[in-house]
Amino acid sequence: MNSPGTADTLAAPSDLVERRPEDPRRILADRVEQLYSQLPLGIVTTFVISVVAAYELREGRYVEVVAFWAGLVLLLTLARGALYWGYRRSPDPKREAEQWLRWLAISALANGATWGFAGAVFFPSHTDVEQVFLAFLLAGMVAGGVTMYAVSWPIYAVYAAGIVFPFTYVLATFGNRLFAEIALLLPAFYAINVGIAWRLNQVFDSGYRLRHAYGRLTEDYTALNRQLQHQLIELEEARRQVEASGRKLALFAERSPIAVFEFDPDGRVVTVNPAAENLFGYSASELAGRAGTETLFPTAATSDVAQRWSEMIRSREPRVSLRANATRRDGVEITCEWNLTPLVNREHRVISVIVQGRDITQQLEAERMKQEFTSTLSHELRTPLTSIIGSLQLINSGVLGELDKDVLELTTIAERNGQRLLDLINDILDVEKIESGKLTLVPEVLGLAELITESLTLNRAFADRFHVKLATSGNLPLVHVRADRKRLLQIMTNLLSNAAKFSPEGSVVEVTMEDVDGYIRVGVHDRGPGIPEAFRTRIFGRFAQADMSYTRQKGGTGLGLAICKRLLEMMGGHIGFADRAAGGTTFWIDLPKPR
Amino acid sequence: MPTQALNRVCYVEDDEDIQRIVRMSLEKVGKLTVEIVTDPLLAIERIIAFKPDLVLLDWMMPGMDGPALFRKMRDLPETRGLPVVFITAKASQRELDELRNMGAVGTISKPFSPRDLPDQLRAIWNALP
Repeated sequence: MNSPGTADTLAAPSDLVERRPEDPRRILADRVEQLYSQLPLGIVTTFVISVVAAYELREGRYVEVVAFWAGLVLLLTLARGALYWGYRRSPDPKREAEQWLRWLAISALANGATWGFAGAVFFPSHTDVEQVFLAFLLAGMVAGGVTMYAVSWPIYAVYAAGIVFPFTYVLATFGNRLFAEIALLLPAFYAINVGIAWRLNQVFDSGYRLRHAYGRLTEDYTALNRQLQHQLIELEEARRQVEASGRKLALFAERSPIAVFEFDPDGRVVTVNPAAENLFGYSASELAGRAGTETLFPTAATSDVAQRWSEMIRSREPRVSLRANATRRDGVEITCEWNLTPLVNREHRVISVIVQGRDITQQLEAERMKQEFTSTLSHELRTPLTSIIGSLQLINSGVLGELDKDVLELTTIAERNGQRLLDLINDILDVEKIESGKLTLVPEVLGLAELITESLTLNRAFADRFHVKLATSGNLPLVHVRADRKRLLQIMTNLLSNAAKFSPEGSVVEVTMEDVDGYIRVGVHDRGPGIPEAFRTRIFGRFAQADMSYTRQKGGTGLGLAICKRLLEMMGGHIGFADRAAGGTTFWIDLPKPR
Repeated sequence: MPTQALNRVCYVEDDEDIQRIVRMSLEKVGKLTVEIVTDPLLAIERIIAFKPDLVLLDWMMPGMDGPALFRKMRDLPETRGLPVVFITAKASQRELDELRNMGAVGTISKPFSPRDLPDQLRAIWNALP
């Protein structure tokens, strides 16, 4: 139920909500932008006023000075125009806001100083009327600058200082008491104007901050909205998936051949699947709300069942493969294998218990019948074989008199094949016992050298038939192993008879003992043809013989090594084989040392 | 070890073929005196009459199985002391242990070798206290 992208989109809102610090650079850029956006108006206004002023003042004695001033104004107007043009053409003026502010400050100072120059030079040399006109113009320039530059009060301060201070000086030194008084008041007016500009500056600043905050809020809101939309889609998808798996689960339970119950923690039935209805003969509605254990296990000791139930609820651990007899509605007892799974919520409380029951009555019956059959087979096959092999052995032993050579040959064949049939029955019974888990071993501490010597003695007659000698390699060390005596002899007999069967005539099958990785390894080494490549992987499988024609030639059931492997595993040992350097095969078994 | 050698053996077995083989084995190979009883229900009186050194019992027989006969022998003073050896095709280790626990002195599993049977019986006989 892991839909792609769920993890990262769910993590995002915390980033959104995180408060970013105010960005002074962005506010500065906004202020610069505001200043420059007003610049064209400032340039045009200043130029028009300058033209009017130059025209009106041209009459005086200083025509050249007026012309010079007009030239200065024209130059400055061009320079400011260029500044504006440069700002607008800049690819990223916001990044260089400080630089543009500095340039604007310089242009403002120059602008102010131009008007300061006009005041200082033209005021003393003109008539009273012209002086009023000039004073009015200067006052207008100072006042008008407030709106133009208030976004940055230091620029306004620089600009107004350029106008006010030269004019103040002229008024103070004019020699007129009234002008001297105005000269005294002018710095105060200046200070008030700068103060107003500062105040406006603050208002602008907070305005810009608000704008940014609002902009960010809008951004956040949009992002949140987007995310919400996204999550809604995912939630819908998740809901669909949950619904689908719910349907799937319901279908599993419904179609399951296993009886499935949901019990509440008090052991009352909540729901059951159709298999449970069929198995026990109650309908789901009949069972709902009933005490499940009393209904299904009426014969069991109530206190015992109740205790085991409450133990499971307390431990919250599932119980698996419990075998218990249950009673159907019609009173028939059935044996079921039960799996109980408590469902636990976040608070570690059991909210319900899923109980699955599989009817194994027939399976148990089949197992019992199989066992009975095997046992009968064992008896019924062995009894006639006892007569057959016994008779032939008596004949072949010669106690009943000498036989004709041909007759003896045939009776010997009959005896050998009778023995083979018996071996096969024994092997099949062994496999059956191992697979049904009925084979029990009696492990004991054994002297291994003795047991190996005994196994050689037991198999010598068999090896003689193939003209093969069985021998130990030197004196065997006196070590002990932990193994089942009878079964270990069976394993050794298997390995020795295999080795003898496949060895060339006149060769020797050698038995060795050594210490390998904490085990005692017994090796049976032959000079046979080796194990064919294709056969190596299934050599320990059942009915395994490299070449089926060997079965007829050499005898053997093909079960021997499979049995050996299982017996050794049950004893805690291993079996394996390896090629011998100069031809032939070594089969080895590892046996655990006594603890 | 008993003072005298094993000489008289009584064998209770319902299968006539096996009876014949055992008789041949014990008489011809083992040179023993043998009494065969086919019906386990008549076994007690035949055993008392024959006075064997050792009794050989089959496990599965109609009418009364080997263990039941063995228990009956244990109840009678005339047969109580006789050593009993079972011959059985039911080779489960648990069942063999059960027989030993009941007081059987030995078990021989089917199929047995008639060549070796007398020696096996003598070995059991010689191992008796």
